[in-house]
Amino acid sequence: MILNGIITGLIMGGILSLPVLGVAVIYGITGIPNFAIGVIGVFGGFLTWYFLSFNMGIAILVGVVFCFAIGYIIQRILLTPISERGGDSTLFFIITVSLGFVFEGLMRAIFPRPSISLALPRIGTINIAGVTVEGFKIFALLFALGTLVIIRLLEEHTEIGKSWQATSQNLKLAKLIGIKTNRVFSIASGIGCALACVGAIFWGSLYNLNLMTGWDLGFLGFIIAVVGGIGNIWGGIISALIMGMVMSFSGYLLGGMWQSVILYFIVILVLIVAPKGILGSERSL
Amino acid sequence: MLLLPSLFVFKGGYLQEVTGYVYLFLIQGYVAWFLFFKSGQPFFGYSVTMAIGAYATIVLTEMFQWPLFASIFIGAVLATVIAVLMFLSTSRARGFYVSMASFLLAILFPKLIEALQPITGGRSGLYFGGLTALVGYKTLYLLVIFLTAAIVAFFLWIMGTKTGRILTLISENDRLTQTVGLNTRKYKILAYSIAGFISGFGGALYVNYTGFISSVDIEVFTTLYIFFIPLIGGSKVFYGPVLGALFVILIPELLVPVERYLRIFFGLIFILVIVLLPEGLAPNIQKLLRKMNPKRA
Repeated sequence: MILNGIITGLIMGGILSLPVLGVAVIYGITGIPNFAIGVIGVFGGFLTWYFLSFNMGIAILVGVVFCFAIGYIIQRILLTPISERGGDSTLFFIITVSLGFVFEGLMRAIFPRPSISLALPRIGTINIAGVTVEGFKIFALLFALGTLVIIRLLEEHTEIGKSWQATSQNLKLAKLIGIKTNRVFSIASGIGCALACVGAIFWGSLYNLNLMTGWDLGFLGFIIAVVGGIGNIWGGIISALIMGMVMSFSGYLLGGMWQSVILYFIVILVLIVAPKGILGSERSL
Repeated sequence: MLLLPSLFVFKGGYLQEVTGYVYLFLIQGYVAWFLFFKSGQPFFGYSVTMAIGAYATIVLTEMFQWPLFASIFIGAVLATVIAVLMFLSTSRARGFYVSMASFLLAILFPKLIEALQPITGGRSGLYFGGLTALVGYKTLYLLVIFLTAAIVAFFLWIMGTKTGRILTLISENDRLTQTVGLNTRKYKILAYSIAGFISGFGGALYVNYTGFISSVDIEVFTTLYIFFIPLIGGSKVFYGPVLGALFVILIPELLVPVERYLRIFFGLIFILVIVLLPEGLAPNIQKLLRKMNPKRA
């Protein structure tokens, strides 16, 4: 049972780390806490479901590209202008939650079913020390970790990545040396939403997606990022894996009802005891 | 203006029920106005303090057979304790982290209510006769109006006293207030106590009026709607939350025929108001009135 719990926890944590990564990328670069990315990601998941019977690859692409575009556009026309006018975290919290309302409403209005599950291929099963795990779950975990590594490499070894770092560290200087900071912000927001969409697609194929899943993924993504030290990508991944374990074991021991109670309780405790997160963060809220 | 809807009591029915909700949420809206906007305390747990007042009232009267008024009082006291504990435990953190801790509590609480289903009824909720059974629906409606007016008057009074002015000073510049030798911690605890007590009392009143509460009524969106009341209405003027409550509670009623699109409208309206009218509705309505009637200005 223990091994089973650990594996389930790792996989849950791995999938959750995608929206966490989304929050961390957006917050790390733009300094905006975005609570809508979960809902936007699940919207992309619904789009993928809608086109799934047509062609799987295209369906996933439609969802992810759509989310990237939405992230890009909302940053461009709404969030960056407000940020330039001097909006604080509380204001962004309210605005992005309102954006979440809009996308939740759109989902309710557009899609014929309020709850879906994505039928993606399961890629066989793998046996780990007597516990059988679906290949698809392992793939999800590896994909999440791979994405993290790719983003890290991009950030440190490419021209675009360096302009991200410059923008997040010193906005005025970055502008001065000719970096198009507005574009950097928009791309970061787009990537964050696209990551949330990939997370939602995995979530939707292992569990299910409904109108509320977006909020759960968004809030979970945000609080896990906070526990890891918001904006700190490694901290985010570690805390996602730990939180996956917490969810998995509290689910086993106390039943599904208590899963999120325990999870949120731990997060509130972390906020009280170590407000900067377990690994700390360069930026503070 | 506040007393105008009391006319509905004679007509009864649907309008009375809806305006009742406006009053009950107006109480919470004024709590947010007082604690967040006037005292500058980053608190987002309004649905939690409200729910504690409501659930304590039901559980104490129904399960422990306590007298109703004692239960309402204890419910309000419990809400006070939670609000003050929230403040004390997060006093090491700053700014947005404090908001997040209380906001997470607002997410956690309905889940806790669901996990404790044998006691709280979870999603299926609890029914409650309470004051409605005691004094009747119409009397209770008038009582709600009276109490709302009294609570609003109390908040206006306290903002005019020395304590209120110190709270305003804290919200404008916390450090400076400390520097001039005032014990800001004491005043903040006082602000949280007042807010917690009134919010808890308002919650108890809510459940007496509606006769029912479930985890769905106190989900995290409730806290956001409560916070939107002073934000949308305008926090600078004292009647801002009244406009906000009318807006937040009545607009959904008007949009019932297109309920499918409710959240889209709501989200867009919130964004538009925040972006275009950062001061809220009230000051702009004032300006509009002045334009329409230049002599008075």
